[in-house]
Amino acid sequence: MRWGLQQALEAFIERVVFGAEIQVTDPSAVDELLRSLQVSENECQELRLQLPRAVVYRQLVQSTLREAIELALPRLVQRMGGVFDEYLQKFLREAGPRTHYLRDVTAEFLDFSEPLWDADRRVPRWARDLARHEALRIEVAACRHSSFPEVPEELNLAAPVRFTESSRLMHYQYAVHELSAELSDRTEPEARPTDLLVYRSADHDVRYLELSPLAASILGNLLSYQHSLGHALSLAYAEHGVEFNEQQMHSTALLLADLAERGALLGPMHERSQ
Amino acid sequence: MRAPTSLPDAEHPRLPAGVGLGLRWEFLEELLEAPPLPLAFLEVSPENYMRRGGYYPEALERAGTRYPLVTHGLTLSLGSIEEPAPEFVNELRAEIRRVKSPWHSDHLSFSRTGQRMTHELFPVAFNRNSIHRISERLKRLTDELGVPMLIENITYYMAPGSPEMPEPEFLGELLEASGAGLLLDVNNVFVNAKNHGFDALEFLHRLPLERVAEIHVAGHESSKWDLLIDTHGARVAPSVQELLAWVLARTGPLPVLLERDNNIPPLSELMCEVRELQAVYEQALRSRLRGGNEVGFAASP
Repeated sequence: MRWGLQQALEAFIERVVFGAEIQVTDPSAVDELLRSLQVSENECQELRLQLPRAVVYRQLVQSTLREAIELALPRLVQRMGGVFDEYLQKFLREAGPRTHYLRDVTAEFLDFSEPLWDADRRVPRWARDLARHEALRIEVAACRHSSFPEVPEELNLAAPVRFTESSRLMHYQYAVHELSAELSDRTEPEARPTDLLVYRSADHDVRYLELSPLAASILGNLLSYQHSLGHALSLAYAEHGVEFNEQQMHSTALLLADLAERGALLGPMHERSQ
Repeated sequence: MRAPTSLPDAEHPRLPAGVGLGLRWEFLEELLEAPPLPLAFLEVSPENYMRRGGYYPEALERAGTRYPLVTHGLTLSLGSIEEPAPEFVNELRAEIRRVKSPWHSDHLSFSRTGQRMTHELFPVAFNRNSIHRISERLKRLTDELGVPMLIENITYYMAPGSPEMPEPEFLGELLEASGAGLLLDVNNVFVNAKNHGFDALEFLHRLPLERVAEIHVAGHESSKWDLLIDTHGARVAPSVQELLAWVLARTGPLPVLLERDNNIPPLSELMCEVRELQAVYEQALRSRLRGGNEVGFAASP
Protein backbone atom coordinates (compact mmCIF):
# COMPACT_ATOMS: atom_id res chain seq x y z
CA MET A 1 0.00 0.00 0.00
CA ARG A 2 1.31 3.41 -0.97
CA TRP A 3 2.27 5.88 1.69
CA GLY A 4 1.05 9.43 1.73
CA LEU A 5 3.70 12.03 0.98
CA GLN A 6 3.90 13.30 4.57
CA GLN A 7 4.47 9.78 5.91
CA ALA A 8 7.19 9.27 3.30
CA LEU A 9 8.82 12.61 4.16
CA GLU A 10 8.98 11.71 7.84
CA ALA A 11 10.49 8.30 7.09
CA PHE A 12 12.90 9.85 4.59
CA ILE A 13 14.11 12.44 7.08
CA GLU A 14 14.36 9.91 9.90
CA ARG A 15 16.53 7.65 7.77
CA VAL A 16 18.76 10.42 6.41
CA VAL A 17 19.20 12.28 9.70
CA PHE A 18 19.45 9.41 12.18
CA GLY A 19 20.39 6.37 10.14
CA ALA A 20 23.80 5.30 8.94
CA GLU A 21 25.29 8.01 6.76
CA ILE A 22 24.13 7.79 3.15
CA GLN A 23 26.57 8.71 0.42
CA VAL A 24 24.54 10.55 -2.22
CA THR A 25 27.01 9.26 -4.80
CA ASP A 26 26.24 5.64 -3.90
CA PRO A 27 23.32 4.66 -6.21
CA SER A 28 22.53 1.38 -4.47
CA ALA A 29 22.24 3.05 -1.06
CA VAL A 30 20.06 5.81 -2.48
CA ASP A 31 17.86 3.30 -4.34
CA GLU A 32 17.42 1.22 -1.20
CA LEU A 33 16.36 4.31 0.77
CA LEU A 34 13.84 5.39 -1.86
CA ARG A 35 12.38 1.88 -2.26
CA SER A 36 11.70 1.81 1.49
CA LEU A 37 9.43 4.85 1.21
CA GLN A 38 6.62 3.13 -0.73
CA VAL A 39 5.73 6.15 -2.85
CA SER A 40 5.20 6.62 -6.56
CA GLU A 41 8.05 6.67 -9.03
CA ASN A 42 7.51 10.41 -9.54
CA GLU A 43 7.84 11.09 -5.82
CA CYS A 44 10.92 8.87 -5.67
CA GLN A 45 12.57 10.92 -8.36
CA GLU A 46 11.66 14.15 -6.60
CA LEU A 47 13.13 12.92 -3.31
CA ARG A 48 16.22 11.65 -5.11
CA LEU A 49 16.81 15.20 -6.31
CA GLN A 50 16.34 16.53 -2.77
CA LEU A 51 18.73 14.07 -1.13
CA PRO A 52 21.83 16.33 -1.24
CA ARG A 53 19.79 19.02 0.56
CA ALA A 54 18.39 16.49 3.04
CA VAL A 55 21.94 15.50 3.96
CA VAL A 56 22.49 19.12 5.05
CA TYR A 57 19.82 18.56 7.67
CA ARG A 58 21.76 15.58 9.03
CA GLN A 59 24.64 17.88 9.87
CA LEU A 60 22.40 20.60 11.29
CA VAL A 61 20.45 18.20 13.53
CA GLN A 62 23.48 16.31 14.78
CA SER A 63 25.35 19.54 15.42
CA THR A 64 22.47 20.89 17.52
CA LEU A 65 22.20 17.70 19.56
CA ARG A 66 25.95 17.41 20.04
CA GLU A 67 26.15 21.01 21.22
CA ALA A 68 23.35 20.46 23.72
CA ILE A 69 25.09 17.41 25.19
CA GLU A 70 28.49 19.10 25.21
CA LEU A 71 27.02 22.07 27.07
CA ALA A 72 25.91 19.67 29.82
CA LEU A 73 28.99 17.39 29.79
CA PRO A 74 31.89 19.62 28.66
CA ARG A 75 34.74 17.79 30.37
CA LEU A 76 33.46 14.31 29.59
CA VAL A 77 33.07 15.14 25.88
CA GLN A 78 36.59 16.60 25.74
CA ARG A 79 38.14 13.68 27.61
CA MET A 80 36.33 10.95 25.67
CA GLY A 81 37.08 12.62 22.33
CA GLY A 82 36.28 10.45 19.32
CA VAL A 83 34.81 7.71 21.53
CA PHE A 84 32.09 10.14 22.60
CA ASP A 85 31.22 10.81 18.97
CA GLU A 86 30.96 7.08 18.32
CA TYR A 87 28.49 6.70 21.17
CA LEU A 88 26.58 9.75 20.01
CA GLN A 89 26.20 8.20 16.56
CA LYS A 90 25.11 4.90 18.11
CA PHE A 91 22.56 6.71 20.29
CA LEU A 92 21.15 8.61 17.31
CA ARG A 93 20.94 5.46 15.15
CA GLU A 94 19.50 3.08 17.73
CA ALA A 95 17.45 5.32 19.99
CA GLY A 96 17.48 9.02 19.20
CA PRO A 97 16.04 11.86 21.25
CA ARG A 98 12.41 11.49 22.30
CA THR A 99 12.07 14.51 24.56
CA HIS A 100 10.49 17.86 23.68
CA TYR A 101 13.14 19.53 25.82
CA LEU A 102 16.60 19.92 24.32
CA ARG A 103 18.13 20.10 27.82
CA ASP A 104 16.88 16.55 28.54
CA VAL A 105 18.61 14.98 25.52
CA THR A 106 21.72 14.55 27.68
CA ALA A 107 19.86 12.31 30.13
CA GLU A 108 18.49 10.22 27.24
CA PHE A 109 22.01 9.90 25.80
CA LEU A 110 23.45 8.80 29.15
CA ASP A 111 20.61 6.33 29.83
CA PHE A 112 21.44 4.72 26.49
CA SER A 113 25.26 4.90 26.58
CA GLU A 114 26.32 4.31 30.18
CA PRO A 115 25.34 0.62 30.31
CA LEU A 116 27.59 0.07 27.28
CA TRP A 117 30.65 1.73 28.77
CA ASP A 118 31.49 -1.05 31.24
CA ALA A 119 32.35 -3.40 28.42
CA ASP A 120 34.35 -0.80 26.47
CA ARG A 121 38.00 -0.55 27.52
CA ARG A 122 38.35 2.75 25.71
CA VAL A 123 35.95 4.38 28.17
CA PRO A 124 37.70 5.39 31.40
CA ARG A 125 36.41 3.74 34.57
CA TRP A 126 35.56 7.15 36.01
CA ALA A 127 33.49 8.25 32.99
CA ARG A 128 30.16 7.32 34.58
CA ASP A 129 30.92 9.31 37.72
CA LEU A 130 32.07 12.33 35.72
CA ALA A 131 29.02 12.14 33.44
CA ARG A 132 26.62 12.01 36.37
CA HIS A 133 28.48 14.79 38.17
CA GLU A 134 28.45 17.11 35.18
CA ALA A 135 24.83 16.35 34.24
CA LEU A 136 23.75 17.20 37.77
CA ARG A 137 24.63 20.85 37.33
CA ILE A 138 21.78 21.51 34.89
CA GLU A 139 19.44 19.02 36.57
CA VAL A 140 19.79 20.62 40.00
CA ALA A 141 19.75 24.18 38.62
CA ALA A 142 16.49 23.47 36.79
CA CYS A 143 14.73 21.39 39.44
CA ARG A 144 11.35 22.69 40.52
CA HIS A 145 11.30 23.71 44.17
CA SER A 146 8.64 24.43 46.67
CA SER A 147 9.27 27.68 48.47
CA PHE A 148 11.70 28.02 51.33
CA PRO A 149 10.13 28.41 54.80
CA GLU A 150 10.64 31.87 56.21
CA VAL A 151 11.29 30.60 59.71
CA PRO A 152 12.98 27.21 60.06
CA GLU A 153 11.10 24.82 62.33
CA GLU A 154 12.72 22.74 65.03
CA LEU A 155 13.37 19.15 63.97
CA ASN A 156 11.45 16.34 65.62
CA LEU A 157 12.99 12.90 66.13
CA ALA A 158 9.58 11.34 65.53
CA ALA A 159 9.10 12.95 62.12
CA PRO A 160 10.90 12.59 58.79
CA VAL A 161 12.92 15.54 57.56
CA ARG A 162 12.08 17.57 54.48
CA PHE A 163 14.76 18.61 51.98
CA THR A 164 14.49 20.81 48.92
CA GLU A 165 13.49 18.90 45.80
CA SER A 166 16.85 19.68 44.22
CA SER A 167 18.86 17.94 46.97
CA ARG A 168 20.71 14.88 45.64
CA LEU A 169 22.97 12.44 47.45
CA MET A 170 25.64 11.20 45.06
CA HIS A 171 27.96 8.21 45.57
CA TYR A 172 31.01 8.15 43.33
CA GLN A 173 33.85 5.66 43.09
CA TYR A 174 36.15 8.43 41.93
CA ALA A 175 36.71 11.96 43.28
CA VAL A 176 35.49 13.55 40.05
CA HIS A 177 34.35 16.66 41.90
CA GLU A 178 38.03 17.51 42.45
CA LEU A 179 38.85 17.64 38.73
CA SER A 180 39.83 20.98 37.30
CA ALA A 181 37.17 22.90 35.37
CA GLU A 182 39.75 23.49 32.62
CA LEU A 183 38.64 21.64 29.50
CA SER A 184 42.25 20.97 28.51
CA ASP A 185 43.04 19.26 31.82
CA ARG A 186 43.56 15.49 31.54
CA THR A 187 44.39 14.67 35.16
CA GLU A 188 42.76 11.42 36.19
CA PRO A 189 40.46 11.59 39.22
CA GLU A 190 41.59 9.82 42.38
CA ALA A 191 40.03 6.40 42.89
CA ARG A 192 38.36 7.23 46.19
CA PRO A 193 34.76 6.47 47.19
CA THR A 194 33.14 9.86 47.59
CA ASP A 195 29.77 10.99 48.87
CA LEU A 196 28.46 14.41 47.91
CA LEU A 197 25.31 16.31 48.75
CA VAL A 198 24.36 18.43 45.74
CA TYR A 199 21.68 21.08 46.19
CA ARG A 200 20.48 24.44 44.98
CA SER A 201 20.71 27.40 47.31
CA ALA A 202 18.04 30.03 47.80
CA ASP A 203 19.91 32.30 45.38
CA HIS A 204 19.87 29.58 42.70
CA ASP A 205 23.51 28.46 42.94
CA VAL A 206 24.29 24.76 42.60
CA ARG A 207 26.43 23.75 45.58
CA TYR A 208 28.39 20.63 46.49
CA LEU A 209 29.18 19.34 49.98
CA GLU A 210 31.53 16.39 50.51
CA LEU A 211 30.26 14.13 53.29
CA SER A 212 31.79 11.70 55.71
CA PRO A 213 30.58 8.09 55.37
CA LEU A 214 28.41 8.49 58.49
CA ALA A 215 26.90 11.79 57.26
CA ALA A 216 26.19 10.12 53.89
CA SER A 217 24.38 7.25 55.61
CA ILE A 218 22.31 9.65 57.72
CA LEU A 219 21.33 11.73 54.70
CA GLY A 220 20.70 8.66 52.59
CA ASN A 221 18.23 7.41 55.18
CA LEU A 222 16.59 10.82 55.50
CA LEU A 223 16.37 11.43 51.74
CA SER A 224 14.62 8.12 51.25
CA TYR A 225 11.71 9.68 53.20
CA GLN A 226 11.07 6.23 54.66
CA HIS A 227 12.27 6.99 58.20
CA SER A 228 11.71 9.41 61.00
CA LEU A 229 14.75 11.44 61.99
CA GLY A 230 15.36 9.27 65.06
CA HIS A 231 15.11 6.02 63.10
CA ALA A 232 17.34 7.34 60.32
CA LEU A 233 20.01 8.22 62.87
CA SER A 234 19.75 4.85 64.65
CA LEU A 235 20.21 2.96 61.39
CA ALA A 236 23.18 5.08 60.33
CA TYR A 237 24.91 4.87 63.71
CA ALA A 238 24.43 1.10 63.81
CA GLU A 239 25.79 0.72 60.27
CA HIS A 240 28.99 2.54 61.23
CA GLY A 241 29.35 1.13 64.73
CA VAL A 242 28.76 4.54 66.30
CA GLU A 243 27.25 4.89 69.74
CA PHE A 244 23.93 6.76 69.91
CA ASN A 245 25.04 9.20 72.61
CA GLU A 246 24.73 12.90 73.42
CA GLN A 247 28.06 13.80 71.84
CA GLN A 248 27.18 12.06 68.59
CA MET A 249 23.74 13.66 68.60
CA HIS A 250 25.35 17.07 69.02
CA SER A 251 27.63 16.43 66.06
CA THR A 252 24.67 15.31 63.97
CA ALA A 253 22.69 18.37 65.04
CA LEU A 254 25.51 20.59 63.79
CA LEU A 255 25.40 18.78 60.43
CA LEU A 256 21.65 19.26 60.11
CA ALA A 257 21.84 22.90 61.23
CA ASP A 258 24.50 23.50 58.60
CA LEU A 259 22.28 21.96 55.91
CA ALA A 260 19.39 24.17 57.03
CA GLU A 261 21.58 27.25 56.83
CA ARG A 262 22.68 26.21 53.35
CA GLY A 263 19.04 25.95 52.31
CA ALA A 264 19.04 22.22 51.56
CA LEU A 265 17.12 21.14 54.64
CA LEU A 266 13.70 22.69 55.12
CA GLY A 267 12.48 21.28 58.41
CA PRO A 268 10.32 18.47 59.71
CA MET A 269 7.96 16.83 57.30
CA HIS A 270 4.33 17.24 58.27
CA GLU A 271 1.62 15.03 56.85
CA ARG A 272 0.12 17.92 54.85
CA SER A 273 3.46 18.77 53.19
CA GLN A 274 4.12 15.24 51.89
CA MET B 1 -12.07 33.53 13.05
CA ARG B 2 -10.32 36.75 12.21
CA ALA B 3 -6.61 37.23 12.64
CA PRO B 4 -5.79 37.70 16.35
CA THR B 5 -4.88 41.37 16.20
CA SER B 6 -8.38 42.17 15.03
CA LEU B 7 -9.90 40.52 18.08
CA PRO B 8 -10.94 43.44 20.23
CA ASP B 9 -12.28 41.68 23.26
CA ALA B 10 -10.65 41.47 26.66
CA GLU B 11 -10.50 37.69 26.46
CA HIS B 12 -7.89 37.95 23.74
CA PRO B 13 -5.77 41.00 24.46
CA ARG B 14 -3.52 42.24 21.72
CA LEU B 15 0.23 42.35 21.73
CA PRO B 16 1.50 45.91 21.39
CA ALA B 17 2.56 46.87 17.88
CA GLY B 18 6.17 47.85 17.41
CA VAL B 19 9.51 46.13 17.67
CA GLY B 20 10.13 43.50 20.31
CA LEU B 21 13.01 41.18 21.12
CA GLY B 22 13.39 37.45 21.56
CA LEU B 23 14.33 36.97 25.20
CA ARG B 24 17.61 35.09 25.63
CA TRP B 25 19.40 34.08 28.79
CA GLU B 26 22.61 35.70 27.64
CA PHE B 27 21.17 39.15 28.42
CA LEU B 28 18.23 38.35 30.70
CA GLU B 29 19.86 39.58 33.88
CA GLU B 30 21.08 42.78 32.24
CA LEU B 31 17.62 43.42 30.84
CA LEU B 32 16.06 43.05 34.27
CA GLU B 33 18.53 45.40 35.90
CA ALA B 34 18.28 48.09 33.21
CA PRO B 35 15.71 50.88 33.24
CA PRO B 36 12.74 50.16 30.95
CA LEU B 37 13.97 49.71 27.39
CA PRO B 38 12.07 50.79 24.25
CA LEU B 39 10.77 47.29 23.53
CA ALA B 40 7.16 46.66 22.58
CA PHE B 41 7.26 43.09 23.94
CA LEU B 42 9.45 40.07 24.61
CA GLU B 43 9.02 36.68 22.95
CA VAL B 44 9.87 33.48 24.79
CA SER B 45 10.12 29.83 23.85
CA PRO B 46 8.03 28.07 26.48
CA GLU B 47 9.96 24.78 26.18
CA ASN B 48 12.90 26.59 27.79
CA TYR B 49 10.85 27.27 30.91
CA MET B 50 8.47 24.34 31.16
CA ARG B 51 9.21 21.64 33.77
CA ARG B 52 11.78 23.96 35.17
CA GLY B 53 12.50 25.69 38.45
CA GLY B 54 15.37 27.84 39.57
CA TYR B 55 16.60 31.17 38.31
CA TYR B 56 15.16 31.39 34.81
CA PRO B 57 11.42 30.92 35.46
CA GLU B 58 11.66 33.37 38.33
CA ALA B 59 13.49 35.86 36.11
CA LEU B 60 10.88 35.38 33.39
CA GLU B 61 8.17 36.25 35.89
CA ARG B 62 10.02 39.46 36.71
CA ALA B 63 10.43 40.22 33.01
CA GLY B 64 6.67 39.78 32.63
CA THR B 65 6.03 42.57 35.13
CA ARG B 66 8.01 44.96 32.95
CA TYR B 67 7.24 43.90 29.37
CA PRO B 68 4.37 42.11 27.62
CA LEU B 69 5.31 38.51 26.90
CA VAL B 70 4.29 36.25 24.03
CA THR B 71 5.06 32.56 23.57
CA HIS B 72 6.63 31.08 20.44
CA GLY B 73 6.97 27.32 20.54
CA LEU B 74 9.56 24.97 19.07
CA THR B 75 8.32 21.41 19.30
CA LEU B 76 4.56 21.10 18.71
CA SER B 77 5.46 19.58 15.33
CA LEU B 78 2.21 20.87 13.86
CA GLY B 79 2.76 19.10 10.55
CA SER B 80 3.55 15.59 11.82
CA ILE B 81 1.33 12.61 11.16
CA GLU B 82 1.33 11.92 14.90
CA GLU B 83 -0.56 14.15 17.31
CA PRO B 84 1.28 16.18 19.95
CA ALA B 85 1.41 14.33 23.27
CA PRO B 86 -1.51 15.39 25.53
CA GLU B 87 0.82 15.73 28.51
CA PHE B 88 2.98 18.18 26.57
CA VAL B 89 -0.06 20.19 25.45
CA ASN B 90 -1.29 20.41 29.06
CA GLU B 91 2.08 21.66 30.27
CA LEU B 92 2.22 24.13 27.39
CA ARG B 93 -1.21 25.48 28.28
CA ALA B 94 -0.08 26.08 31.86
CA GLU B 95 3.00 27.95 30.68
CA ILE B 96 1.03 30.11 28.22
CA ARG B 97 -1.30 31.06 31.07
CA ARG B 98 1.57 31.70 33.43
CA VAL B 99 3.14 34.29 31.12
CA LYS B 100 -0.28 35.62 30.03
CA SER B 101 0.54 35.29 26.35
CA PRO B 102 -2.20 36.70 24.07
CA TRP B 103 -1.62 33.89 21.57
CA HIS B 104 0.70 30.98 20.92
CA SER B 105 2.72 30.46 17.76
CA ASP B 106 4.70 27.53 16.44
CA HIS B 107 6.12 26.55 13.10
CA LEU B 108 4.35 25.14 10.07
CA SER B 109 6.69 22.17 10.02
CA PHE B 110 7.33 18.76 11.46
CA SER B 111 10.04 18.07 14.04
CA ARG B 112 9.09 14.56 15.03
CA THR B 113 9.82 11.56 12.86
CA GLY B 114 8.15 8.50 14.35
CA GLN B 115 9.15 8.51 18.01
CA ARG B 116 12.26 10.62 17.52
CA MET B 117 12.32 14.37 18.11
CA THR B 118 14.78 16.02 15.73
CA HIS B 119 14.83 19.48 17.35
CA GLU B 120 14.87 20.87 13.79
CA LEU B 121 12.10 22.18 11.52
CA PHE B 122 11.23 20.25 8.34
CA PRO B 123 8.80 21.36 5.61
CA VAL B 124 5.43 19.65 5.40
CA ALA B 125 3.95 18.33 2.17
CA PHE B 126 2.09 21.15 0.40
CA ASN B 127 -1.08 19.20 -0.28
CA ARG B 128 -4.70 18.96 0.76
CA ASN B 129 -4.05 16.08 3.16
CA SER B 130 -1.73 18.41 5.07
CA ILE B 131 -4.29 21.21 5.02
CA HIS B 132 -6.96 18.94 6.45
CA ARG B 133 -4.73 17.33 9.07
CA ILE B 134 -3.06 20.53 10.25
CA SER B 135 -6.17 22.72 10.22
CA GLU B 136 -8.08 20.21 12.37
CA ARG B 137 -5.10 20.07 14.73
CA LEU B 138 -4.91 23.87 14.95
CA LYS B 139 -8.60 24.12 15.79
CA ARG B 140 -8.20 21.53 18.56
CA LEU B 141 -5.09 23.27 19.90
CA THR B 142 -6.86 26.63 19.94
CA ASP B 143 -9.47 25.06 22.23
CA GLU B 144 -6.98 23.10 24.33
CA LEU B 145 -4.50 25.93 24.80
CA GLY B 146 -7.20 28.53 25.30
CA VAL B 147 -5.55 31.16 23.08
CA PRO B 148 -5.49 31.88 19.35
CA MET B 149 -2.85 30.05 17.33
CA LEU B 150 -0.40 31.51 14.84
CA ILE B 151 1.63 29.46 12.41
CA GLU B 152 5.04 30.58 11.17
CA ASN B 153 6.41 29.98 7.66
CA ILE B 154 9.78 28.25 7.97
CA THR B 155 13.05 28.18 6.09
CA TYR B 156 13.46 24.85 4.35
CA TYR B 157 16.58 23.56 2.62
CA MET B 158 14.92 20.70 0.75
CA ALA B 159 11.62 20.90 -1.09
CA PRO B 160 9.00 18.63 0.53
CA GLY B 161 8.29 16.43 -2.45
CA SER B 162 5.93 17.29 -5.31
CA PRO B 163 3.52 20.05 -4.22
CA GLU B 164 -0.18 19.99 -5.08
CA MET B 165 -0.09 23.79 -4.88
CA PRO B 166 2.47 26.57 -4.42
CA GLU B 167 3.41 27.49 -0.86
CA PRO B 168 1.57 30.88 -0.72
CA GLU B 169 -1.68 29.23 -1.76
CA PHE B 170 -1.06 26.33 0.64
CA LEU B 171 -0.59 28.81 3.48
CA GLY B 172 -3.68 30.77 2.46
CA GLU B 173 -5.92 27.71 2.34
CA LEU B 174 -4.56 26.39 5.63
CA LEU B 175 -5.12 29.70 7.40
CA GLU B 176 -8.67 29.90 6.03
CA ALA B 177 -9.49 26.31 7.02
CA SER B 178 -7.99 26.60 10.51
CA GLY B 179 -8.82 30.16 11.49
CA ALA B 180 -5.25 30.59 12.66
CA GLY B 181 -3.22 33.72 12.18
CA LEU B 182 0.07 33.99 10.33
CA LEU B 183 3.39 34.75 11.96
CA LEU B 184 5.18 35.97 8.85
CA ASP B 185 8.93 35.49 8.99
CA VAL B 186 10.27 37.70 6.22
CA ASN B 187 13.84 36.45 6.66
CA ASN B 188 12.57 32.93 5.97
CA VAL B 189 10.86 34.16 2.80
CA PHE B 190 14.11 35.81 1.70
CA VAL B 191 16.28 32.75 2.47
CA ASN B 192 13.87 30.37 0.71
CA ALA B 193 13.70 32.69 -2.29
CA LYS B 194 17.46 32.64 -2.64
CA ASN B 195 17.82 28.91 -1.99
CA HIS B 196 14.96 27.79 -4.21
CA GLY B 197 15.10 30.43 -6.93
CA PHE B 198 11.84 32.34 -6.62
CA ASP B 199 10.98 36.02 -6.18
CA ALA B 200 10.42 37.01 -2.55
CA LEU B 201 8.15 39.93 -3.37
CA GLU B 202 6.01 37.88 -5.70
CA PHE B 203 5.68 35.30 -2.89
CA LEU B 204 4.58 37.97 -0.42
CA HIS B 205 2.09 39.41 -2.94
CA ARG B 206 0.29 36.06 -2.97
CA LEU B 207 -0.02 35.73 0.79
CA PRO B 208 -3.20 36.68 2.65
CA LEU B 209 -1.53 39.60 4.43
CA GLU B 210 -4.76 40.39 6.29
CA ARG B 211 -4.04 37.26 8.36
CA VAL B 212 -0.60 38.39 9.51
CA ALA B 213 -0.68 38.93 13.27
CA GLU B 214 3.05 39.13 13.94
CA ILE B 215 6.25 39.46 11.92
CA HIS B 216 9.66 37.94 12.59
CA VAL B 217 12.96 39.30 11.32
CA ALA B 218 16.32 37.63 11.79
CA GLY B 219 19.77 37.26 10.28
CA HIS B 220 21.02 34.60 7.90
CA GLU B 221 24.48 33.50 6.78
CA SER B 222 26.18 31.83 3.85
CA SER B 223 27.35 28.28 4.34
CA LYS B 224 29.70 25.66 2.97
CA TRP B 225 26.72 24.05 1.22
CA ASP B 226 26.07 26.90 -1.21
CA LEU B 227 22.91 27.67 0.74
CA LEU B 228 21.87 30.56 2.90
CA ILE B 229 21.20 29.23 6.38
CA ASP B 230 18.67 30.78 8.72
CA THR B 231 21.09 30.95 11.63
CA HIS B 232 19.56 33.81 13.62
CA GLY B 233 23.20 34.57 14.20
CA ALA B 234 23.70 37.84 12.33
CA ARG B 235 22.16 41.28 11.89
CA VAL B 236 19.01 41.55 9.82
CA ALA B 237 20.13 42.12 6.22
CA PRO B 238 19.02 45.32 4.43
CA SER B 239 17.09 43.25 1.89
CA VAL B 240 15.10 41.66 4.71
CA GLN B 241 14.46 45.08 6.25
CA GLU B 242 13.02 46.12 2.90
CA LEU B 243 10.69 43.13 2.90
CA LEU B 244 9.61 44.08 6.41
CA ALA B 245 8.83 47.61 5.24
CA TRP B 246 6.94 46.33 2.22
CA VAL B 247 4.72 44.15 4.40
CA LEU B 248 4.07 46.84 7.03
CA ALA B 249 3.10 49.36 4.35
CA ARG B 250 0.29 46.95 3.49
CA THR B 251 -0.70 45.55 6.87
CA GLY B 252 -0.39 48.58 9.07
CA PRO B 253 0.96 48.39 12.64
CA LEU B 254 1.92 44.94 13.88
CA PRO B 255 4.22 43.40 16.49
CA VAL B 256 7.63 42.82 14.88
CA LEU B 257 10.11 40.55 16.59
CA LEU B 258 13.89 40.64 16.24
CA GLU B 259 15.19 37.07 16.64
CA ARG B 260 18.81 36.59 17.65
CA ASP B 261 19.69 33.10 18.91
CA ASN B 262 23.37 32.69 18.05
CA ASN B 263 26.48 34.86 18.24
CA ILE B 264 24.45 37.01 20.59
CA PRO B 265 26.03 40.47 20.95
CA PRO B 266 25.78 42.66 24.05
CA LEU B 267 22.31 43.96 24.86
CA SER B 268 23.36 47.50 23.94
CA GLU B 269 24.19 46.32 20.42
CA LEU B 270 20.89 44.45 20.13
CA MET B 271 19.03 47.57 21.21
CA CYS B 272 20.80 49.53 18.46
CA GLU B 273 19.39 47.06 15.98
CA VAL B 274 15.95 47.30 17.61
CA ARG B 275 16.05 51.07 17.17
CA GLU B 276 17.13 50.67 13.55
CA LEU B 277 14.20 48.33 12.92
CA GLN B 278 11.84 50.68 14.73
CA ALA B 279 12.91 53.44 12.30
CA VAL B 280 12.17 51.12 9.36
CA TYR B 281 8.84 50.30 10.98
CA GLU B 282 7.84 53.94 11.43
CA GLN B 283 8.93 54.92 7.95
CA ALA B 284 6.86 52.09 6.47
CA LEU B 285 3.78 53.18 8.41
CA ARG B 286 4.26 56.81 7.35
CA SER B 287 4.35 55.72 3.72
CA ARG B 288 1.15 53.77 4.32
CA LEU B 289 -0.53 56.85 5.76
CA ARG B 290 0.48 58.81 2.66
CA GLY B 291 -1.58 56.25 0.78
CA GLY B 292 0.95 55.04 -1.70
CA ASN B 293 3.24 52.10 -2.26
CA GLU B 294 6.11 54.39 -1.47
CA VAL B 295 8.11 51.64 0.05
CA GLY B 296 10.05 50.78 -3.02
CA PHE B 297 11.99 47.63 -3.32
CA ALA B 298 15.08 47.18 -5.37
CA ALA B 299 15.16 44.16 -7.62
CA SER B 300 15.93 41.08 -5.55
CA PRO B 301 19.71 40.84 -5.21
